[in-house]
Amino acid sequence: MILDKKEIQAVKSKKDASGIIISIIAYIFVGLFAICCLLPFLMIISASFSSETAITTDGMGIFPKNFTLEAYKILFRTPKYLVGSYVVTIGMTLGGTALGLFIISMTGYALQRKDFPFRNGISFFIYFTTLFSAGLAPTYLWMVNTLGMKNNYLAVFLPLLMTPWLIFLMKNFIKSIPHEITESGKIDGANDFRIFLTLVLPNLKPALATVGLFLALQYWNEWYNTMLYLSNKDYQPLQYYLYKIINQAQALRQSVAGNQVSIENLPSNTLKMATAIVATGPVILFYPFVQKYFIAGMTVGAVKG
Amino acid sequence: MTTKVEKSGQKRNRFQKDGIPIKQKRNIWKDIKTHKILILMCLPAVIFFIVFNYCPLPGVYIAFTNFNYAKGIFGSDFIGFDNFNFLINSNKLWMLTRNTVLYNLAFIILGNLLQITVAVLLNEVAAKWFRKITQTLMFLPYFISAVLVGLIVYNIFNTDVGLIPSLIRSLGGESMSFYSTTWIWPIIIVLVNLWQGTGYGAVVYFATICGMDTGIMEAAEIDGANRWQRIRYITIPGLKSIAIILILFSIGSILKGNFGLFYNIIGPANSLLMPYTDIIETFVYRAMMNQQNFAQASAVGLYQSVFGFIIVMLANSIVKKVDPEYALF
Amino acid sequence: MKKNLKKVLSLMLVLAFVFSLAACAGESADSSSTAPASTDSTESTAADSSAEESTLENTDVDTSEQVNINMLVLGNKPTNGRMEAAVAAENELLLEKVNATVSLEYIEWTDWQTQYNLRLMSNDTSIDLIITATDWLYAWPNSKKGAFLALTEDMLQTYAPQTWAEIPAEDWDLCKLGDTIYFIPEDQYTQWTNHGMFYRGDWATEAGLTDGVQKFDDLTTYFTYIKENKEGVIPWDVPGKNNMAGIISGYIASNSDYTTIIGTDTGNFNLFAYQGDDYKTVVSPYLDDDVLYDAADLMKEWNTIGVWRDDVLNYEGETRELMYAGQSGADQHHVQTYIGLQPNMEKKQEGSDAQMYWWGYENGNYCADLKTHGAMAVNASSENPERALMVYDLIRNDEEIYKLHNFGIEGTDYVMTDDGKLDRPAGWDQSTDALDTNFWGGRVDKYEPARVTDYADKDALFAELAAGAKEYQLSAFAFDPEQCPTEIAAVADVCSNYFPLLAYGKKDDPKATVDEFREQLKMAGIESLMANIQQQMDEALAQ
Repeated sequence: MILDKKEIQAVKSKKDASGIIISIIAYIFVGLFAICCLLPFLMIISASFSSETAITTDGMGIFPKNFTLEAYKILFRTPKYLVGSYVVTIGMTLGGTALGLFIISMTGYALQRKDFPFRNGISFFIYFTTLFSAGLAPTYLWMVNTLGMKNNYLAVFLPLLMTPWLIFLMKNFIKSIPHEITESGKIDGANDFRIFLTLVLPNLKPALATVGLFLALQYWNEWYNTMLYLSNKDYQPLQYYLYKIINQAQALRQSVAGNQVSIENLPSNTLKMATAIVATGPVILFYPFVQKYFIAGMTVGAVKG
Repeated sequence: MTTKVEKSGQKRNRFQKDGIPIKQKRNIWKDIKTHKILILMCLPAVIFFIVFNYCPLPGVYIAFTNFNYAKGIFGSDFIGFDNFNFLINSNKLWMLTRNTVLYNLAFIILGNLLQITVAVLLNEVAAKWFRKITQTLMFLPYFISAVLVGLIVYNIFNTDVGLIPSLIRSLGGESMSFYSTTWIWPIIIVLVNLWQGTGYGAVVYFATICGMDTGIMEAAEIDGANRWQRIRYITIPGLKSIAIILILFSIGSILKGNFGLFYNIIGPANSLLMPYTDIIETFVYRAMMNQQNFAQASAVGLYQSVFGFIIVMLANSIVKKVDPEYALF
Repeated sequence: MKKNLKKVLSLMLVLAFVFSLAACAGESADSSSTAPASTDSTESTAADSSAEESTLENTDVDTSEQVNINMLVLGNKPTNGRMEAAVAAENELLLEKVNATVSLEYIEWTDWQTQYNLRLMSNDTSIDLIITATDWLYAWPNSKKGAFLALTEDMLQTYAPQTWAEIPAEDWDLCKLGDTIYFIPEDQYTQWTNHGMFYRGDWATEAGLTDGVQKFDDLTTYFTYIKENKEGVIPWDVPGKNNMAGIISGYIASNSDYTTIIGTDTGNFNLFAYQGDDYKTVVSPYLDDDVLYDAADLMKEWNTIGVWRDDVLNYEGETRELMYAGQSGADQHHVQTYIGLQPNMEKKQEGSDAQMYWWGYENGNYCADLKTHGAMAVNASSENPERALMVYDLIRNDEEIYKLHNFGIEGTDYVMTDDGKLDRPAGWDQSTDALDTNFWGGRVDKYEPARVTDYADKDALFAELAAGAKEYQLSAFAFDPEQCPTEIAAVADVCSNYFPLLAYGKKDDPKATVDEFREQLKMAGIESLMANIQQQMDEALAQ
């Protein structure tokens, strides 16, 4: 049944009772949840601008107490290194996301092809790695001694390129693209890779945005591999660099090591808050751009018939 | 050309000709040749996992050794299951496993339910600006590190200056001491986990909804289905496959607890709450705090992995029986 | 749309490849090491070097090849360039004398326990010298696991003659496993790190304690006074989350003659001790002595008074900061911290007259610091152990090199006052200009001038401490926890359950809780653990 635009509009404008109720519920629920998510964040922002003692005496609130920039001053003390951290992190995030996304979608496409006899075997092969891991010591020895990755940015860049979860996620997204597209490509004489590149990829916007987002976040938030392999590099990925500052104060205060160094007056809790803001800030600004890709999907009508 | 999808267990040629199934001898080389491009496309990922996951895997042998640095993993003395003793003989293994599994189940089930709800409702919000803003806001908690989460929770619930006790007191009531009350913490922990993970997880569902065929939706609308019916009969079933995949994935890690969350909210000192909130990771951390015993750590990981493996194989085979397309493999 | 997508993708791909290339180019030389995980160098290297000439002259040793000695230290890598400048100046001298340079590699504070042990585990040939300590930096476990090179007397005499000569035989004995020396003790450096409670002299006087806190129970008087008279001040605002054991051990020290046996801790709790002069018998006041009942009762009393916050077990505040701000009446740490805290308190809370009551003040039940609280080991897989020892010898004993390494360049990093004290140049700020070479493995008193910022009466304090201190009799005993890991883990678990409750008085009936605690300890196997400790100790003392 082919309707023209006007008739479709006419039908859509018929409001039904359930629609209104659902709209109301949607706005309220989503709105409330968003506020729940925002409030603690406001608390963190305000605490980052408050004085340490005010926080411990009065607790955290929505507005800063004894407004001070002390925590931020400490963070920005050596701007060269902070900027270096940002550059390294952004570089790795962009590069890693691009490369990883490409490989992930390529693999995901191959694995969802029902006519590909090896897909179950390879899927299991990939999935199995989420179940078993050798543990810290063997992995460390492998990376440092055999692969020689100590003090090399690749030690952080490479292992994060893909995860089984992202591959499966992508595979599932691609499944919703009808097989007809592949077939029509084959009819035109293209090989699988060309089909993937020219016919499938362009239709994967929400999928690419989603997986790309998760991948980028993985790179952005990473600190553990940095701690293991990059702790003597001058410019370290951001999260680890920020953790360092917090942990220094903590380690010196709590551990026996603290007796060796004169303990300086580092505000601790407010420092943690300021760190969180500095680390998260850029991503919040970047997220709205990604949202553009969460648009309504394509219609199949063009291919059928 | 008609295509027919066969059960993935059967290795026949998938394309029928003239409606008569053709039994072809399974010829791997022919398959490789036909699909060589697809195989090449999978190659980077396969190599990746070989290098970074499968190669170090033999090192799991360390869990059975008395690891000596000079001798290396495979040169160290074999001691059988001795490294597992501290876990088994602690008399806590059952309690810890139970806590870990129950919490994870709550996280998985409630988490996915909430994420689906949020994604569906988000889709029903017409005003784009509202949707954009709320989606960004919902994403924020994911970024808050576990340490900060612990601090925030403390700031909300502590008796002296916490938000909630202060509120209760200002209303004239007598606030209970949250940090001395055991039963409330499973609830709080689950809520915190939901708060942190929902925005992030809802993105997947939301993207799936965006990728859904709008033609069907419009056709349904024209046919007279109201919003609720459209949600119930089209949107939600459309999310079934992704939900099952996500859940199956999470089940593999059902014995692996979220150390950061528990350690920072409950802390190592509040043993009043521990019977309700202690998981495998926090116990191991406290037990091994001073020793840096890598072999023991690997032993614990192995225990968690083996159980997760068994459970996931079971779950996947069940799903496969119901509908093979939803299974992971 | 398709075109844009393609463009963006290709741009990002190019970025990715360029980035990978840059990463490869920036790879440091060290990372190309492909040394196998297992080496058997401990015996062979020792044999090799004892084949060298064993005269005491450095000049007879072959130093024709220039090498770099890499020292592993703890701390965040400094970013202000001071360390590099100081080390460069130092290297000029080192090159002259032994044709070697020194470089520092840092184990940063994030998860340092894991990082430190991982580094040692991986048998990295690029490390030569390693900072360690027997009581907090895993010296014994790493020696046993083959991370450190065995140091023979010949080696030490040949390559580190000055160090060898200045350390007496009994101090060398403290570093031996069996008959082999595994690290060099920082024994010529006086530090006091015994714990106690800092309190304010002015408030103590107001509370009626004219001579300050003289015994443990005086603290109760002090805290009660603050609670009743100082509005908004928490007597001792301790973060229970980070102090699980509280100060029960302090109470026991001050009210008995138990001395803790170092190295037998179960997950950060020190249960085992010897009593009085009988250092050959392992006992535990936590298992059977009424002093634990008294301690638990007192802590309950303190909880009722309100010495700490209600939710102390989850509280994570910075007590020192609060004390500086006048919001906490006390802080608990050790003497070395007190020396820095005292002048600071005077600056921030004028007239506060910060004092310290250390555990065992009234009955002299405290020990001097272990001589192996700081130590330096040589990496078992080091490629230049001989040169490493020579460099260490110079840093420790050559005054010019020592000062460069530990204090920096005179004029820029420090200045000497007319009365021989160490001061900082104008505008120097601890947080931005610190040297951070963290050489905690070979400091010596003779080259350490008094600091202008130190507590003025530091020497008097040290003298007072030295006069009353007991000597720890079991320095050479290295307990091997791997003989009964199960019991240790189980006991550690019981401790982590009960200690916080007892230490902060969170249970209504302390006596019953203590009884329960003891029951649980027995079920966890504490008696067989104690028997094992006793057995190991007997073996160690027999040698």
